[in-house]
Amino acid sequence: MAVEAAAGNVPGTGPPSSLTVFWAAFRENRGAVVGLTIFCVVVLLAIIADLVAPYSPYVQFREAVKLPPVWAAGGQANFPLGTDALGRDMLSRLIYGARISLFIGSSVMLVSLAIGIQLGLAAAFAKGWIDTAIMRTMDLIIAVPSLVLAILIVAVLGPSLANTIIAVTIVYLPRYVRLTRASALGELGKEYVTAAQVAGVGPLRLMFRTVLPNCLAPLIVQSALGVSEAILEAAALGFLGLGAQPPIPEWGSMLADAREFIRSNPWIVSLPGLAILVTVVSINVMGDGLRDALDPKLRRS
Amino acid sequence: MLKYLARRLALTLPTFFALMFVTFIAIRLVPGDPVEVRTGERGIEPERLAQFRHELGLDQPVWKQFLDYVGHLMTGDFGTSVVTNEKVLKEFFALFPATIELSMAAMLLAVSIGIPAGVLAAVKRGSSFDHVVMGASVTGFSMPIFWWGLLLIMLVSERWGLTPVSGRIDLIKYYFEPVTGFMLIDSVLSGQSGAFTSALHHLVLPSIVLGTIPLAIIARMTRSSMLEVLNEDYVRTARAKGLSPFRVIGLHALRNAMIPVVTIIGLQIGTLMAGAVLTETIFSWPGVGKWLIEAIGRRDYPALQGGIMLISSIVILVNLGVDLLYGTINPRIRHGR
Repeated sequence: MAVEAAAGNVPGTGPPSSLTVFWAAFRENRGAVVGLTIFCVVVLLAIIADLVAPYSPYVQFREAVKLPPVWAAGGQANFPLGTDALGRDMLSRLIYGARISLFIGSSVMLVSLAIGIQLGLAAAFAKGWIDTAIMRTMDLIIAVPSLVLAILIVAVLGPSLANTIIAVTIVYLPRYVRLTRASALGELGKEYVTAAQVAGVGPLRLMFRTVLPNCLAPLIVQSALGVSEAILEAAALGFLGLGAQPPIPEWGSMLADAREFIRSNPWIVSLPGLAILVTVVSINVMGDGLRDALDPKLRRS
Repeated sequence: MLKYLARRLALTLPTFFALMFVTFIAIRLVPGDPVEVRTGERGIEPERLAQFRHELGLDQPVWKQFLDYVGHLMTGDFGTSVVTNEKVLKEFFALFPATIELSMAAMLLAVSIGIPAGVLAAVKRGSSFDHVVMGASVTGFSMPIFWWGLLLIMLVSERWGLTPVSGRIDLIKYYFEPVTGFMLIDSVLSGQSGAFTSALHHLVLPSIVLGTIPLAIIARMTRSSMLEVLNEDYVRTARAKGLSPFRVIGLHALRNAMIPVVTIIGLQIGTLMAGAVLTETIFSWPGVGKWLIEAIGRRDYPALQGGIMLISSIVILVNLGVDLLYGTINPRIRHGR
């Protein structure tokens, strides 16, 4: 396996690098390795979509509308997974859909991680009213059911891909803030922090260089799971017609378009959902492995 | 206990206030004037427009509008739908029993399968049964439930013809006025033969779909909580005393393992409400989730505002209730802080 070889050849001859240790622990969980492999394939497909997708996701083949996949009766080899109601190639739309879903998932994760770390550290370090204001706001966001809040935000901003990302980012922000604050508070009482303070380290350096690196393990795990949650949430919004708008090949909105074909053309319904499920499962399984490898204390079983 | 209750309530109040503020602001930010929604695009005379604005309180300063809004909420006035002209509160509670019925059925399913599966998986740790439960749990947890619903409709309803596709009861055969709003109870009360079976058939697929994620979470949580408890000294003592495995697991271990699981079950209400929006949309289930989505489609912002306010308040109150209940079950929490 390519990934395995790359990680096994960590240069250096001294004590095993932290990456080697991590990989050895991660590899113990066979499911996690499978998850990582599948996830890498999806990421690769998303990156090289222009090269591997047989057609553009938007081009309509009027003479080949609602073709079944190649293994079913009436399928054609030039449309391996069939075509949708407008004659667009399902395979190409699914591949480009991976690009959109992963883009949503990773941008939601990156933005909420970046903002979450800053707010969480600010709350932990400033204490007092800043802490209260930040944490009460997060409590409010948590109080509203995730999808309902996302719906409210999209209703205000209007449905689009960008607004989906904004809405889902706001919904998942509190997890990162709470996690950062909790781990930072845990670190603040430790001696190395006091030592750094005594040595005259400024507050910003103390926050980001001294304390933050020691809070990263749970944040990395949450980030992995955050990508899959964001993909699911965005797909749900797309399905309700409040996310990416047609003809964008977003998996959720592809499903919304396909609802009327449940009876006649089941593959138009089955395939986008299967793509979502496989991607999300692979990320979640990988996240479990990450948690076990990074933080033995968090090990559940 | 009273002190604990007071402190928890005091922590909840600012959340309610902020919720009012956010729903108020959000609806002000929505593009489009609420008066224009009412009057349509043809336009009307300026005097009529001014009169409408006055009726809706839109000619007042914003802070005054907010105070009015809070005052109305306090007296139980959650606004009036601009589409049906009905009170939002009335519409909401007419539909809410359908959502509760669906949520309770889903939760019942999740608990009755999830807990035994989790316990068995923990007891037979490392067995193939354990692997199947954990695999199913990860899949269920990752499930896009809107797709899962469509898939089940495709297979169970369309191909095998086992269950109906949508709605709460066969409206062609049975009609009766709602008494409790719970279809299972109302169908029995109506005395029409076959009505209860029809209602039950309609409930099967939606509750499977809505119950999938809670089921996965409960099974996983039960397993890990059980694994922790099985290592405790009192379980070892019970084993050493020579108690039967059934008594050790069923009596000594399970009781203690259930404490975190009960909390998780209580906290699933947010998941259920979010899931209800999707499930009700797929199965045309006439509950508050579907109503909320339709309100967006009809640009009925007062309904959206009131609905979100009501759903969130219910979630906050239930979570508060779970917290208090947890404090009663587990005194360590109450005195700890």
